[in-house]
Amino acid sequence: MFLQQMINGITVGGSYALIALGYTMVYGILKIVNFAHGDVFMMGSFFGLFCMQVWEMPYYMAFPMAAVATAIMGIVMERIAYRPIRTADSLTVMISALGVSTFLENLAMLLWGTGTHAFSNFSGITISTYKFDNIVLSNIQIGFIVLSLLLMIILYFIVNKTKIGVAMRATSHNIKTAKLMGINTDRIIAFTFGIGSALACVAGLLVGIYYDAVYPLIGYSYGLKAFAAAVLGGIGSIPGAMLGGFVMGIVETLGASYISNGYRDAFAFAILIIVLIFRPAGILGKKEIDKV
Amino acid sequence: MKKTMFSLFSSFILVTSLFAFGCGSAKSDVIKVGVAVPLTGASAEDGNAIKNGVKLAAKEINAKGGINNKKVELVIEDDKGDPSEAATVANKLAQDKDVLAIVGHFNSSCTLAAAPIYNQTGVVSVSPGSSAAAVSKAGPYTFRVITTDAVQGASLMNWAVKDLGYKNIAVLYENTDYGSGLADVITKSANELKVNIVAKEAYEVGSTDFSTALTKVANSKADVIIVGGLYNETALIAKQKKNFGLEKMQIMGVDAIYSDALLRLGGDAVNGIKMTGYFSEVSSDPVSKNFVSKFKEEYKKDPSTYAAYGYDAALIVFDSIKNAGTDRKAIRDFMAKIKNFKGVTGENSFDENGDVIKQPLRLIIQNGKFIVTDK
Repeated sequence: MFLQQMINGITVGGSYALIALGYTMVYGILKIVNFAHGDVFMMGSFFGLFCMQVWEMPYYMAFPMAAVATAIMGIVMERIAYRPIRTADSLTVMISALGVSTFLENLAMLLWGTGTHAFSNFSGITISTYKFDNIVLSNIQIGFIVLSLLLMIILYFIVNKTKIGVAMRATSHNIKTAKLMGINTDRIIAFTFGIGSALACVAGLLVGIYYDAVYPLIGYSYGLKAFAAAVLGGIGSIPGAMLGGFVMGIVETLGASYISNGYRDAFAFAILIIVLIFRPAGILGKKEIDKV
Repeated sequence: MKKTMFSLFSSFILVTSLFAFGCGSAKSDVIKVGVAVPLTGASAEDGNAIKNGVKLAAKEINAKGGINNKKVELVIEDDKGDPSEAATVANKLAQDKDVLAIVGHFNSSCTLAAAPIYNQTGVVSVSPGSSAAAVSKAGPYTFRVITTDAVQGASLMNWAVKDLGYKNIAVLYENTDYGSGLADVITKSANELKVNIVAKEAYEVGSTDFSTALTKVANSKADVIIVGGLYNETALIAKQKKNFGLEKMQIMGVDAIYSDALLRLGGDAVNGIKMTGYFSEVSSDPVSKNFVSKFKEEYKKDPSTYAAYGYDAALIVFDSIKNAGTDRKAIRDFMAKIKNFKGVTGENSFDENGDVIKQPLRLIIQNGKFIVTDK
């Protein structure tokens, strides 16, 4: 049972990690917490469902389409809700983020109703399970873990090995200096929002496929846990967000499994508090590898 | 100045007399029945189903000439599923002397908030949806056509243990008063029937990930899962169980999972789920058949279990008014003595607390339909 629960924890942790990346990248550059990010995750999931249900696309076309649509939505969100108040104090930005969050939730309820929607009716993906001893793995679970790890590696490569990655890191170190060095910081910020939103969309699609459900308020609990995971790993640090997501997923699953399922969320936040007592900057939140 | 005062005074008199006249004339030719359910907010879907059930009952009785040759007029109020709003609405309905009785409220918390007001003014309310135990003690003017969770939970356990022979029971329940109350009832009857509860897992309403709970169930050697929750989570449990080698695991529940949404969301995975309930849309019973066909004709969709409860609550209110006349207290006294009143959710009788007594049906989902079954 321990191994099985570890696998369950890694699966759910993968979704937290993908969402946490969006929080941590935006924080790394702008020092703001984008509280609407959980709802971006929800919208991404709905976009994918919409492509499959209404336009009858197969899943391998619907998912990239949804990721692009969500990235565009993230960029538009930054342009409308955050750029005009970039110099205002952080409280103003937070209120703006909460406004975006409320707007997206209500938009989803208007467009798709308040009920829960199933993916399996439209995705054409069938679940098959493989049994090893007493561990059961499903094809979707494997796909979930592989895809989330792959995307994290690609992101790590983009940030560390490409020109735009250098610009992102420069912007996160000091936005004014980066501007003086000829970096178009507005474009870099928009790009960061786009990447973060696309990753959240992938998380939304994976959750939708694996747990077979999406509803307009699903972003609240996932967004909150992923934010906690980003803080746990050290907000602003990309490897931190990945690690934080997996640690949070595993801890809450093991806690739920060996102590009580009813206190599942409590374990997630208890580990956050314990880590922050000993390492106030989070697990990997050191000054040197700080920020994007 | 004097002139203005006079014109103000006279217009006041005119307006008040208009009101008085309006009320007086209404009293003679219609019978007003209040309907207080959540039409907006989280319980809106069930509230609207109840409203539709009540409206259908009123339409039917008016087509037959009304009650004692007076047309029924519904006064529909939205309590939003919020106890403080329910108290406001209850005051409004209770103060209107022409409202003879009330169908409502839906949420147990709202019924409890409204009950003192109805008791004080002496107007009877019949709840179509409050199943919490506390409602029994809400006072002499509060009735309900839905049984408590305890009645259904005990009946479900009898079915599972005595007739189906399950010995190891897993309970998955939502972390609310309703879910944990039902889980307690199931644990208690498991002790009485001498079977084991091998897993007892709570989950938050709105959860999507049941992998941890289902892994525990898979390792517990349970032979049945009893769900103390609502349709969304039940559908997800039914769909996710096959990821953990539980394809053949039987799922059972009570009528809170009876909903179109369960079939829509669960697809093939919910076939075979067994539940207790009081209403089946494919029942061969003539009263139910008539209700289902009229409901589909009127609203172009299938009635939910709460639409059926709303319909029955309205029938009981109409019958009491028909027999007891237009005195509020006489209506209450007649209702308290009702025995085996045939409705679409079974034969209704009330005990001394105004709780309904009736036998639940056994239902199973087959090919995406709720079917009545013997075993």
